[in-house]
Amino acid sequence: MELRLTDLRDGESGVVTSIKIGHRVHGEHRRAGRRWGFRHRLEDMGLTPGTRVTVVKSAPFRGPLEVYVRGSRLAIGKRMAERIFVEVKR
Amino acid sequence: MTESKFIVALAGNANVGKSVIFNHLTGLHQHIGNWPGKTVEKAEGTLHFRGHTIDIIDLPGIYSLSTFSIEELISREYIAVQTPDLVINVVDASVLERNLFFTLQLMELETPMVVALNQVDMAKKKGIKVDYKKLEKTLGVPVIPTVATRGTGVYELLQKSVETIEKGGKKPHRMKYGEEIEKRIESLSEIVKEIRYPYPARWTAIKLLEKDEQVEREIRKISPKILPAAGKSAKEIENIHGHSCSTVITSERYEIAGCIARKVQHIAPPTRPPMRERLHALTTHKILGYPIMAIALLSIFISIFTFGDYTSGLLSDLLYGLEPIFENIFGPGIVGKLIWGGVIEGIIAGVTIALPYIIPFYLILYLLEDSGYLSRIAFLLDNVMHKIGLHGKAFIPVMLSLGCNVPGCLGCRIMETERERLLTAFVVTLVPCAATTVIVLGLVGTFVSVQWALALYIIDLLIIFFLGRLAFKALPGEPTALIMEMSDYRVPHLETVLKQTWFRLMEFIKMAFPLIIVGSLLIKLAEVMELLNPIAGVLSPMTVTWLGLPAITGIALIFGVLRKELTLIMLATLLGTADFAQVPSFGPVQMIVFTLVTMLYIPCVATIAALVREFGWKKALFITVFEIVFAILVGGIAFRLLILAQ
Repeated sequence: MELRLTDLRDGESGVVTSIKIGHRVHGEHRRAGRRWGFRHRLEDMGLTPGTRVTVVKSAPFRGPLEVYVRGSRLAIGKRMAERIFVEVKR
Repeated sequence: MTESKFIVALAGNANVGKSVIFNHLTGLHQHIGNWPGKTVEKAEGTLHFRGHTIDIIDLPGIYSLSTFSIEELISREYIAVQTPDLVINVVDASVLERNLFFTLQLMELETPMVVALNQVDMAKKKGIKVDYKKLEKTLGVPVIPTVATRGTGVYELLQKSVETIEKGGKKPHRMKYGEEIEKRIESLSEIVKEIRYPYPARWTAIKLLEKDEQVEREIRKISPKILPAAGKSAKEIENIHGHSCSTVITSERYEIAGCIARKVQHIAPPTRPPMRERLHALTTHKILGYPIMAIALLSIFISIFTFGDYTSGLLSDLLYGLEPIFENIFGPGIVGKLIWGGVIEGIIAGVTIALPYIIPFYLILYLLEDSGYLSRIAFLLDNVMHKIGLHGKAFIPVMLSLGCNVPGCLGCRIMETERERLLTAFVVTLVPCAATTVIVLGLVGTFVSVQWALALYIIDLLIIFFLGRLAFKALPGEPTALIMEMSDYRVPHLETVLKQTWFRLMEFIKMAFPLIIVGSLLIKLAEVMELLNPIAGVLSPMTVTWLGLPAITGIALIFGVLRKELTLIMLATLLGTADFAQVPSFGPVQMIVFTLVTMLYIPCVATIAALVREFGWKKALFITVFEIVFAILVGGIAFRLLILAQ
C-alpha cells in the first residue's frame, strides 16, 4: 500500500514511489517546494523512485525524520518527508 | 625539472575528511577568505613538491552539482571555468554509494581526477572492505586509499596527483546511462559542440535534459534554438519512464553508483552495534537526547564564558596597567590622549572582548562540527528553530550570542544557504549579549525592579521572534527545510581543528581591528575636540523629544557603539554619579527606555566587523542602520506607553 513516509512506524521500511512536491498536503493551500527544487534535492540525496528507505525514528514535537537510505543516515524535515510517498507491505 | 605551478581542487561530500587532507597538504600556508561576493568560505593553500608549486583550493562540501545551492554552483563553475589541473575527489569509503554519486558527476566535468578513498579505517570497523584496485579500473581514475586523520596515504595521494598532471592529465572514463538516454545525450551534445560554452558538451547536454536553470539561461543567450530540441528529448525520456527527466537521470546515476559500490566493496556486518551507533541512538533519543543536549550546550556556554570572562579581565587589568607608563612617556597632552584613548584603548577593547571569546568558540564549534554532534543538535532542535524561520543548526549561533554577538555572527557559517546565514546573523545581532545583560541588570534590575529587567528580556525575545518571522517572510529565496546527512560520529582531528581555529582567528583580526581602532579614534577625537556636547545637541530631537531621555544620553549611546557596557560607564561619568536613583531627570521610565534602546540599537563595532567579514559591507550596513532606526522607533513607543501607564 502507498503511504507517506511520515506514516511509517519506527523501524519500518518502504520503497519510494514518488515525491509529490507542488501538491497540497493536509489541506495546506500552499503549493510549496516546486520552485526551490526540493524534489531534486531529495533525489540528489538518494531518494529516487525505487529506492528502499527505512524510517529509524522521528524527533518529537513534529520534528524531522531520521531515515536510512543507500547506506547512510539522513535527517529530513517533517514538511518535506510528508511529500515522499512509499510503497509498504503491511 | 623546471619549476611549474599547478592548481589542484579538493572536492567531495561534507564530513568526508576533506579539510583534514587540505590541512595535511598545505600545513601553515593557508589563506581563508570568501568566494567573491558570496558568504561561502574559500580556503586556499600552497605547497611545494618536487620542484612544483601547487595551489590547493578546498571546494565546499557538497553532494551534487546542480543549481540548488551556491556551494554547488561555485564548485562546478570553478572546475569548468577556472579549469584546475586536477581535481582530488575525497570519498568516504564507509558511505561509498552516496559518495560515488558525486564522483560520477565530477567525472562528467571531464577534468583529470584522482580519488582519495578516505576513512578506510572507519569503513573497516563497519565491516566494509573496498577493493580500490577494482574501483580504479572501473572509474578509469587513480584511487589512493587514505586515512587522513593519521596522515596515511596523503603522500601517495600527492605523488599520484603530480604524476597524473605530469602525464598530461587523462580524462576519466565516460559512464554510460541507459540506451534511450545515451542516444539523446549524444545527439544533443553534437549540437552543443557547435557553440562556445565553457562546460564540456556532454555535460551540457545532460544538464539541458535535466532542465538545469542556470545552463538553460546561459544557453538561451548563446544559441536559443538548442532549448526546444533538448525539451523534446527530455519529453521523450519522460514518456518512456513516467518520471521527469531529471528524476530519471538522477536515478540512473545512483544506479550506476550503487552498482559500482556493490562490485568493489565487501560487507561483513559487525556482530554488535559499535560504540558510535549506540552513542548516536542515545544522543538523538526522543527523551534522553534533550537532557544530554542541554547539559552539553550549557557546559559549552559556561566554559566559553567563564574562560572568556576570566581571560578578558586578566588581559584588561594587564593592558590598562600600562596606562601610567604610557602617560609618563607622552604626557597628558592631546596627542597622548588620542593615541591612548583612540588607538590603544581600541586595541584593548578588541583584545579583551573578542579574543578570549572567539578562540574557545571556534575551537568548540569545529569540535562540534567535526565530531558530528552538531548535526544531532540540528535534528533535535529543528522544530523549535522553525518557529523563527530557521532550522536546527541556528541554535548554536543564537545560543553563543547570549554571551557575545561576535562568535554568534561568525558561527552563522554553519548554516547551509546564504539566505539562512543572513537570517541567522540578523537574529543573532538582536540577542542580548553579556554586556547588554550587565546594563539590564545594573540599571533596570538595580534601580527599577528585577521584574522589569525580566520583562525587558521577554520583550526582546518577542521582538526577536517577530523580526525573525518578518525577515523570513521578506527575504527572497528558498524556504527553510532540513535535508541533512547525519554522518557517523568520529573523533575530531585535533590538528585540523587547531589550524582551522588559528586561520579563522587571524582572518578576524585582520578584518576587525582596523575597524575597531578607527571607531574608537573617531569617538576619542570628538571628545578631545569638545564635539560631544554639540553632537548631543544635534541628537536631542531624537533623544529628548522622541525618547524622553536627558540630552547627555546621546553621548552615552555613541560610546556604546564601541562596547555596550560603556553606555553605563559613560552615563555615570556624565551624570556625575553612579547612583542613578539620585538623578531626577533619569527616572524609572527613562531607565527602561534607555536600556531598551541600548539592547536593540546597534551591534557593537566588533560585531559590525564580524558582519562585514561574513557578509560584506552592504549587508552589514543594512543590518546596522535597520537596527538603529528600529531601536529608536521601539524606544519612542515604549516611552509613550510607559507615560500613559503611569
